[in-house]
Amino acid sequence: MTAPSHPAPGARRPPIEVGSLDYARKVPPPSGDYQWIYLWEKPLRFMHWIAALCIVLLALTGFYIGRPYFVPAGDPGDAYLMGWFRFVHFVAAALFVMTGIVRVYWLFMGNRFERLPALFPVRKRDFRNLFRIVKFYLMIEPEKAPKYLGHNPLQQLSYTGMYLVAALMVVTGFAMYGQSNPGGLIYTAFNWVNPAMGGAPIVRFVHHVLTWAFLIFIPIHVYLALRADALERTGTISSIISGGRFVESTEEFVDAE
Amino acid sequence: MFYPTSHPWSTDQSLGDHLAERGVSRRDFLEFCGSMCAVLGISSTMLPKVAAQLEAIKRPSIIWLQLQECTGCVESVLRTAEPSIGDLVLDMVSLDYQHTLMAGAGEAVERAKADAMAANKGKYILVVTGSIPLEANGMYLTIGGRTGREILEEAARDAAAIVGVGACAHFGSVQAARPNPTGAVGINKIITDKPVVNIAGCPPIGDVVTATLVHFLTFGRLPEMDSEGRPLFAYGKRIHDQCTRRAHFDAGQYVEVFDDEAARKGWCLYKVGCKGPAVFSPCPIFQWNTRTSWPIGAGHPCIGCTEPYFWDTMTPFYGRLPNVAGFGIESKVDTIGAALALGATAGVAAHAAATGLYQLRHRKQAEAEAAAGSSTPTKEG
Ligand code: SF4
Ligand code: SF4
Repeated sequence: MTAPSHPAPGARRPPIEVGSLDYARKVPPPSGDYQWIYLWEKPLRFMHWIAALCIVLLALTGFYIGRPYFVPAGDPGDAYLMGWFRFVHFVAAALFVMTGIVRVYWLFMGNRFERLPALFPVRKRDFRNLFRIVKFYLMIEPEKAPKYLGHNPLQQLSYTGMYLVAALMVVTGFAMYGQSNPGGLIYTAFNWVNPAMGGAPIVRFVHHVLTWAFLIFIPIHVYLALRADALERTGTISSIISGGRFVESTEEFVDAE
Repeated sequence: MFYPTSHPWSTDQSLGDHLAERGVSRRDFLEFCGSMCAVLGISSTMLPKVAAQLEAIKRPSIIWLQLQECTGCVESVLRTAEPSIGDLVLDMVSLDYQHTLMAGAGEAVERAKADAMAANKGKYILVVTGSIPLEANGMYLTIGGRTGREILEEAARDAAAIVGVGACAHFGSVQAARPNPTGAVGINKIITDKPVVNIAGCPPIGDVVTATLVHFLTFGRLPEMDSEGRPLFAYGKRIHDQCTRRAHFDAGQYVEVFDDEAARKGWCLYKVGCKGPAVFSPCPIFQWNTRTSWPIGAGHPCIGCTEPYFWDTMTPFYGRLPNVAGFGIESKVDTIGAALALGATAGVAAHAAATGLYQLRHRKQAEAEAAAGSSTPTKEG
């Protein structure tokens, strides 16, 4: 009754019995006390998966809109292929934008791993660690790399970069969309982008090129998540589903507060 | 409907009296006013008011400057859809200076222009076609020994309204395209203290020019304009949203090359570079050559001639994406994008392999150490 539904962010649960985890032969089994660290709250996890779905839908439909390939024959009265592709694109875009708005709200209301300062390596120590994290991924003295509970500085930079790409996509998308209803709300709010970028075709170009930023990001992101999950064995993948991961209680973390 | 007359419209006569003198019936006049209302998007309940206003106007003076241009816009304006409208506005108004159409030449017409501007100070309408070259002190364009800039500034000073006709007058059109060797600029870059209407297009449709002039004569003010100075009655909507091929766009039916089956069927020109989705112009509605046809109707993609700096921003005319610093031909940008995405995937695969090797080496080391460590106590024990 008094227990909160979720542990406070970063809080450690009492040690749980791990038992023998010697399922991976030749690898020393995890030992010692494991503790579950709660990192990503429910809204953030929902936002992650909704955005992932939206990005996939937007990229697929966007490529069709940019260069339509299927050719339906017959009477245009019966076919509405581009119409449907655009419909899905716009609905997914609307959902994506709403997710973005909630994310901005969550920059102020989220826990310390989710708030605005967590988006950048703001502290000097994080900035210095950046270099060692790069070495970690290059497998140069990886054991010396600092460990983070939340995002490490390199993750902060790349995820924040993707937020900026997403924002640019939204702005350029609305700039194009608004032209269908001149004088309307979206036109009034976003049409300045067209002359500012040097004409509507440049806006279209930027929107088109930035799609590739997502498509380059996705394999790297998925791979690094899988890799961390496989090597560190702390349930990294699970953390974006359950919200937390397990760490050994003896381990030291830079951002352990 | 209107014939040249030996009774020119005298300065103090109202338009109504003059038309009566020329034998134009009241009915014809109202019909003309009705067609102007339709073009300008004015409600037909306003018709009596428009007619009364227009009837009462005195003979306006128009000074038409042709600067750095090709005369195409003049040609277009002369072919306004209904001869009666063209006649009314261009024949009957006092076109005091228009060096292509004038019979006179040389010093005499320059003097006539100066006289007309002095006589109608603050009342004449200034129409400008063509841009103004600023490089080399404007020496790329001189008329009667004076530069385009001088001529424009002088004529604009006492004008009641300034109407820029054509892409040149506002954006410099082709001569202002990169690298713009003559430094051509539009009039709005030089005349900054007065509103300048931008009848955009290369060339614009003559009816739009006529309707804008009628609007000014009737209401005494310029029509409502968008952020580029284009009158909203004509440039308020995208081509794409008024296009006769739009059903094919929505259906997903596109012309791939200009002589394919789809082209014969009149499908959408999107994939052969149509800029209609980003172009504001009345082409689909007003059409060209007495409503005969219009570019997209005739099977050519829109090249966006009413948009700012279209030679730079709307090219390549037959491709969807602009050619940004040699980077944008769409096949190229998609090839590079796909290569990078595949490269990223290959990169992570290589990284995964490297990680595996690294793990293996360290595990062996650890096992060797463990073996060495465990062997020591056995020896001792
Ligand atoms: S032809 Fe051009 S303007 Fe017409 S529907 Fe196709 S893309 Fe749009
Ligand atoms: S269809 Fe487009 S390019 Fe052609 S005249 Fe009209 S606005 Fe200009």
